[in-house]
Amino acid sequence: MREGTCSGCGLTAPIGSFYGISGKLYCEPCSWKEERTAAERGEKLEKISVVDGSVCARCKTRAEATGAADFPICKGVPLCPNCQQQIQNWPYPVWLKASLAGLLILLAVALVHGRKYFHAGRVMYAGERLVEQGKYKEAVPLLKEADGVAPQSDKASLLLAKAALRIGDVVTAQKALQAHDAGHYETSGDSQEVSALWNRATAALEKADKASDLEGQPGKAEEAEALMRQASAEYPEMAQLATAIPYFEAGSAFDRKDYDRFLAISEGIWKAQPDSANAAGQLAGALACKYAVSGDPSFRTRSEEMMGKAQQLSHGDHAAQQSEQEYAERLKYRMDTREIINKQEYDRRFRGGKETK
Amino acid sequence: MFFIPGFVVSLVTFPGVIVHEAAHLFFCKLFRLAVFDVCFFRVGNLAGYVIHETTDNFRALFFVGIGPFIINTLLCMVFCTAAFLPVWELKIDDPLAYFFYWLGLSIGMHAFPSSVDLTNIWTVAPDLAKKGNVLAIVSLPLVAVLHVLNFARVIWADLGYGIAVGILGPIAIFKTLART
Repeated sequence: MREGTCSGCGLTAPIGSFYGISGKLYCEPCSWKEERTAAERGEKLEKISVVDGSVCARCKTRAEATGAADFPICKGVPLCPNCQQQIQNWPYPVWLKASLAGLLILLAVALVHGRKYFHAGRVMYAGERLVEQGKYKEAVPLLKEADGVAPQSDKASLLLAKAALRIGDVVTAQKALQAHDAGHYETSGDSQEVSALWNRATAALEKADKASDLEGQPGKAEEAEALMRQASAEYPEMAQLATAIPYFEAGSAFDRKDYDRFLAISEGIWKAQPDSANAAGQLAGALACKYAVSGDPSFRTRSEEMMGKAQQLSHGDHAAQQSEQEYAERLKYRMDTREIINKQEYDRRFRGGKETK
Repeated sequence: MFFIPGFVVSLVTFPGVIVHEAAHLFFCKLFRLAVFDVCFFRVGNLAGYVIHETTDNFRALFFVGIGPFIINTLLCMVFCTAAFLPVWELKIDDPLAYFFYWLGLSIGMHAFPSSVDLTNIWTVAPDLAKKGNVLAIVSLPLVAVLHVLNFARVIWADLGYGIAVGILGPIAIFKTLART
């Protein structure tokens, strides 16, 4: 390391710490003094840092050790050949490259491993958009997929429950809600909306259940009909409730012994549901009533035809078949005796009071 | 606001520091600037640094200074996107997803350029902007906002930025994908 002497104060120090002004060397404090003096004279001095080329500025290697007098000045500083090479093309460390490669591999693994999440997310967002557009029926299958992958997701299960409740699919909504932390959610706008929907739906279903119970009791058909109407009005999204109303209307008409009305309603149900064994059986019952009160054999013939259709339609459904069998027995009695009695009375007289389904 | 020493934050989010310095180095090499020293990570007040030559090339100055902001933001979005669905939306306990989310947030937290880098750009940009340099014009509001955010680090603006990029970015990506 070369040394120099300050032209101002005579200080001897490494030459790299000096400044050159008008061809003379100055230490830093003296260089400031020279600048101030020149400024007072209205002059501006050219002040340059002195570079000591005998030592590499980075690695401190002495030039004489490499056989050179001075190292070349590169980017304003003296640098040995190794450092020159290094600063011009600083290499990325091996560990950095290895880490980057490792990260990329991990990222690829995460992307492959996360395919099912991406799919679930995609269908969830698509379902969310459909829900926002009020296309609940189309949203349900997509949201079912998302909820299947992530039942603990508030968003997926609330969206599914909401969409399902909006189309009257209470079973799907119940499954989604129960699968999520036993129905517990953080309070949010969505959870409150679903909760309100759920409460409305379950209140309506309770009324519908009660209506079904009442319908089986003698003289309660009108009350049952009124309850079912209330249930349907409270939860119009569930089409089955509205569909059930005519059956309850028919029950009321039967209770009032208004067999013309009973027949008209039953004809309407059959027209609306030509594949339903229940509807066929109901019409057979109404025709049997008409035969019983009028004695017109055409009603009997039609009643027997409809009963045959009911049996055909219930084929393969054990519960429906049992129900049709029970009903057929009563209708035969109704037409053979031309006496109209309800099920309870029939059970009391001929089945030892034992209720049948 | 609770106080956590800077070195603890740096330790917990060290990948972000490394990516930040690697981004500086990448742009230095891209613009062929001499690099005198690099520290990718250390436990201390300055968790990492790249010492490079000064330049009159504003493009080089801009990208070397702002580079980490661009690279860290992009990587934060990539890694958080890979983990966003299981962690945030689907609530699935997947360790790999949590690892990627930590990685993404760590990188995002160190996106802000240092005050020195911003000052270097801020010193030169106004004159160049007056001369119609588009990059300088664009850089002025960006650097101003980043300066403010840099000061707001004391109230965890860096973490807030990481979270914002790591959540809003993936949401935007997936919502766009859902529309296709």
